[in-house]
Amino acid sequence: MSNVNYTTFTIVVVLFLIVTLTGFAAARWRRAEDMMHLNEWGLGGRGFGTFVAWFLLGGDLYTAYTFIAVPAAVFGAGAVTGFFAVSYTIIVFPIALIFLPRLWSIARTHNYITPADFIRGRYGSRGLSLAMAVTGIVALMPYIALQLVGIQAVLTVMGVGTSSANTYVKDLPLFIAFVILAVYTFVSGLRAPALIAFIKDTLVYVMIIVAVFYIPTRVGGWGHIFAAGQAHLKAISPVTHKPTGVFVPTTGNSQLAFSTLALGSALALMVYPHAVTGVLSTKRRDIITRNMALLPLYSLMLGFIALLGYMAVADKTTVANVKKAGGNAQLAVPYLFQHLFPSWFAGIAFSAIVIGALVPAAIMAIASANLFTRNIFKEFFKPDASPRLETKVSQWVSLVVKLGALLFAVELPRTFSINLQLLGGIWILQVFPMIVFGLFTRWFHRWALLAGWLAGEVFGTIAAYKVATPTTSHWAGSTDLEFGHTVYIGLSALILNVAIAVILTVVFKATRVPEGADETLPHQYTADPEHAPEPAPATVGIGTAGE
Amino acid sequence: MAQESSIKSRGPISAHPVISAVITILTIAVVFFAVYVPLYARITPKVGDFPFFYFYLLIYMPVVSLVCWIIIVLRGRVTR
Repeated sequence: MSNVNYTTFTIVVVLFLIVTLTGFAAARWRRAEDMMHLNEWGLGGRGFGTFVAWFLLGGDLYTAYTFIAVPAAVFGAGAVTGFFAVSYTIIVFPIALIFLPRLWSIARTHNYITPADFIRGRYGSRGLSLAMAVTGIVALMPYIALQLVGIQAVLTVMGVGTSSANTYVKDLPLFIAFVILAVYTFVSGLRAPALIAFIKDTLVYVMIIVAVFYIPTRVGGWGHIFAAGQAHLKAISPVTHKPTGVFVPTTGNSQLAFSTLALGSALALMVYPHAVTGVLSTKRRDIITRNMALLPLYSLMLGFIALLGYMAVADKTTVANVKKAGGNAQLAVPYLFQHLFPSWFAGIAFSAIVIGALVPAAIMAIASANLFTRNIFKEFFKPDASPRLETKVSQWVSLVVKLGALLFAVELPRTFSINLQLLGGIWILQVFPMIVFGLFTRWFHRWALLAGWLAGEVFGTIAAYKVATPTTSHWAGSTDLEFGHTVYIGLSALILNVAIAVILTVVFKATRVPEGADETLPHQYTADPEHAPEPAPATVGIGTAGE
Repeated sequence: MAQESSIKSRGPISAHPVISAVITILTIAVVFFAVYVPLYARITPKVGDFPFFYFYLLIYMPVVSLVCWIIIVLRGRVTR
């Protein structure tokens, strides 16, 4: 703790305490008659309006890791690996506008709590629903762990715990933060991150507005920032003997990589279970559509956050500090803030990143817990589970998920967590056909979708494993050469997935393989029920039709 | 009255083909102009100190927001 700036540290601790109190107080916010129901604990009573939903979805989708990783990628490799995130958050909303209102309507009508509930009801298939649940949980675990990597980056730069060689002593502040997060999520459910999102987003907006106006004045202006970025990326790397990165993607291959990364990531984002959790917590259908027009404001902020990477390149002290830390680009933004901001404002900026980790981590843990409870525990082990038991199981599973993520972050090498998160994106994209196609048509056969999903997962995982660079033998990225073109692996896996689903659907239909019962009706996809449905009696499981 | 019930029975898309077509075109266009990188992958003309590539993506976000609003309003007319 000898290198700690106590002004910065104190501000981070005070803001963390405020957030902690808010998390516990959230249990009384919009108080429910009975919190022991997943509609209440897991979806905040399904009653959030436009304003709360905007903060919740923004807090959910734009994570601490985004604030660290996107500028780090721009710092390290430029536009294709970093700025594509800006492009994908631009197109995600018009794409989501096509299908999210339908998902909301059908989920509201049938009291679906997870995306796998919908799949169970639509296709009458426990196997397909299980595939969705497992993919969701597995993809979210490293995502939660990466939120911790974001906190670790801030703690490292603040000098907290760096003097100890013992991992557990070194990461003690991280353990404390996560235990507190786990407890208030356990008590307050989705209400906690929804309320904390107000604080998080206010801090993030203040941080980025100040950074955008103040930092350029300290490092020579925007012209110098872009010139420094361009020169840095043009320099030949001594390891690869190629340019360090791409300032503007002008070659066909870099453009295709940029486009496919943007498109594939946009398709994946809104089928992540935590995104669906945020969507299903809203009280009316038009709140979803309205937010699809309002959320691009966050993307504008993300654009400037990405440019922090070039600001870091333009600041020689930050570049030197990153080099001293073993070239860890994840530390670029924290070092930039530490060097250029006064201590008290660095405290606010660091708090924004730390709190920015807690909100999505809580929602992701709740989403994973709901998937486990509804689509594994209730479906396969306890079909007569009461709403109270479901909620209890979810509460405990959310704790286990967070503990697992904590061990991930502490025990596994940082690069492994990052690679797993990249893989998570490829994995979750493979559930797109079963969810999104299912919202519009029942033409696809359930087993064909399952086979397509499996093929996509296997292909994507093997292709990602084979990606190598001169410094990394496996899992070195998420783009690969396909027929001579550099494309996002997730998207090529998705194309294979859909092709198999189409071919096998034709085969299964021709051979009259049972298609499973569909419990949904066409008009329910555009319905706008005012009240959340009454919970099903404990003895009746959701989606019992079919098998 | 008869016309209204006929619109309902025909379904929203076939009842409002022009508006539905506009919604489809707007959605495709707004995605296309973001993912078709050759359109904006150049440094010049610079806007202020911002290379065109970066300026385009930043300015495109409010445009997307506006287009999403237009799509929402049009969809409201189709489903009304």
